[in-house]
Amino acid sequence: MLSKEQNEALTRVGPGTPMGELLRRYWYPVAFVRELDEWPIKKVRLLGEDFALWKTPQGGYGIMQERCPHRHASMVYGVIEEGGLRCGYHGWLFDCEGACVDQPAEPEKSTFKDNVRAQAGKAQELGGMVWAYIGPDPAPELPRFDVYVDDGFKDVGHSMLPCNWLQIMENSVDPHHVEWLHGRYFQFIGEQKGFLAPPSFQKKHVKVGFDPMEWGILKRRVLEGQTEEDDDWAVGHPLVFPYCMRVGGAGIDQMQIRVPIDDTHTWALFYANHHPEGIDEYPDQIYPTDYEYQWIDDQGNFIVDYIEGQDVMAWVTQGDITDRTAEHIGKSDIGVVMLRRMFREQMALVAEGKDPTVGFTREPHERIELPCEKNKFGAGVDFALAWLEMGSSRYSPALDTLKKLHIQAAAARGELPGQHNVDTPGQ
Amino acid sequence: MVALRDYPNHVEPPDPVPDRRLTGVHWWDPDRIRHLADLPRHCPSCGASVTGDGGISVEYWEADHRVYHTWCRACGWTGDIIRVHRMVGHEPDEPSPF
Repeated sequence: MLSKEQNEALTRVGPGTPMGELLRRYWYPVAFVRELDEWPIKKVRLLGEDFALWKTPQGGYGIMQERCPHRHASMVYGVIEEGGLRCGYHGWLFDCEGACVDQPAEPEKSTFKDNVRAQAGKAQELGGMVWAYIGPDPAPELPRFDVYVDDGFKDVGHSMLPCNWLQIMENSVDPHHVEWLHGRYFQFIGEQKGFLAPPSFQKKHVKVGFDPMEWGILKRRVLEGQTEEDDDWAVGHPLVFPYCMRVGGAGIDQMQIRVPIDDTHTWALFYANHHPEGIDEYPDQIYPTDYEYQWIDDQGNFIVDYIEGQDVMAWVTQGDITDRTAEHIGKSDIGVVMLRRMFREQMALVAEGKDPTVGFTREPHERIELPCEKNKFGAGVDFALAWLEMGSSRYSPALDTLKKLHIQAAAARGELPGQHNVDTPGQ
Repeated sequence: MVALRDYPNHVEPPDPVPDRRLTGVHWWDPDRIRHLADLPRHCPSCGASVTGDGGISVEYWEADHRVYHTWCRACGWTGDIIRVHRMVGHEPDEPSPF
């Protein structure tokens, strides 16, 4: 249980709010590179503010407030020039730093433009996505996590969800939900619909543990039949502060990304890099495959016969901003308690004018490797195939390509489908 | 905290979607109010406020005990605060959960 004031402080993401100020110290994916190659300007909403994102003629990216400081027409309908983005209404031109560099209707010698500045952020490309930073200067480094930079076949499912991002993040430090939501509940749905739900998800948790780390919180678990020597405990996988979670296994690395669009909307992406052992050449890709996964049907019911659909049901049905003054949490929820404290500590640092100390770097780097179980759930081709068929990848237009990739890799390893126990991805 | 004036021409976010669960009257309010009444307000180490932006206190249950996991921004103290209604001696073969 939290007080109403603490719940508000932890969930409001707009400018000037304590959480909003913390979150403005991080980079966020806001578009796919593919989108801006198809049309070079996109409206972007991030942390409760609206922006125009554009691709420059030089191949870089710019991001500025959507409304022109002149008379508030949308810059999304502007003109891209070498010098920046020009408003379509009266031609005011803004460079990538937000400086107003031309006001064509004003007298030639006017200094008016020197008194006008737009809010501008920074934008750059990584892993086939365009990332934006809208906080104060100097911007930190964009963390180049392994998933985004490693070779492989990249597949990204995404959807806009009508709930606050924090309740999604709290799910990432809640290991026990797996044996119920993806275990018993999945089994029940399977019994009703006539399919076999993955039995491994029904294994009971014997022990859970959480360690703070440089990039967030490392989550560990011991399931029935396991020991602390197993990867699930010995390695674990991290919540990547403040808005991601890293999972994987069987040659699939995935970052679950929850971009806070505003207080009541989250862009939830499952960014997966497929690189199974046994092959080192992958099908050609100009861009990562991107697609929307479905989470609600035509009748307005949640789609709960796959893993991520079950998660979405749990996140969204808590309400747009869940009321933590009326919750009853227990010892099995201590990961959630720890995460709230971590957010509060980091908010305090930023309020004091300091940098956050978790999930944040100013050190230039090429690649950041995150700890993540490799031998999770048997780690065979059956795991990979189950991941594809019982996860959000089932909506991917590249589903057949991905299946073929994993089967070819298994053949190269001398492994046959059916050799391992069928299991599915963890949370 | 960075003031709004640090964001010239910033775009105000829209009003949040009205959510009466955060503000309305509900049948579960007596329970909620009872729990909130016990929420620690001051750090047991330095006495600073742990409400508002002074820290955080999160209630969770451990068997019959309500535990308040608390962090104080002023001195950094972190720990669990447990309200005790009755002092109970442990039976020899029952280890204390605390």
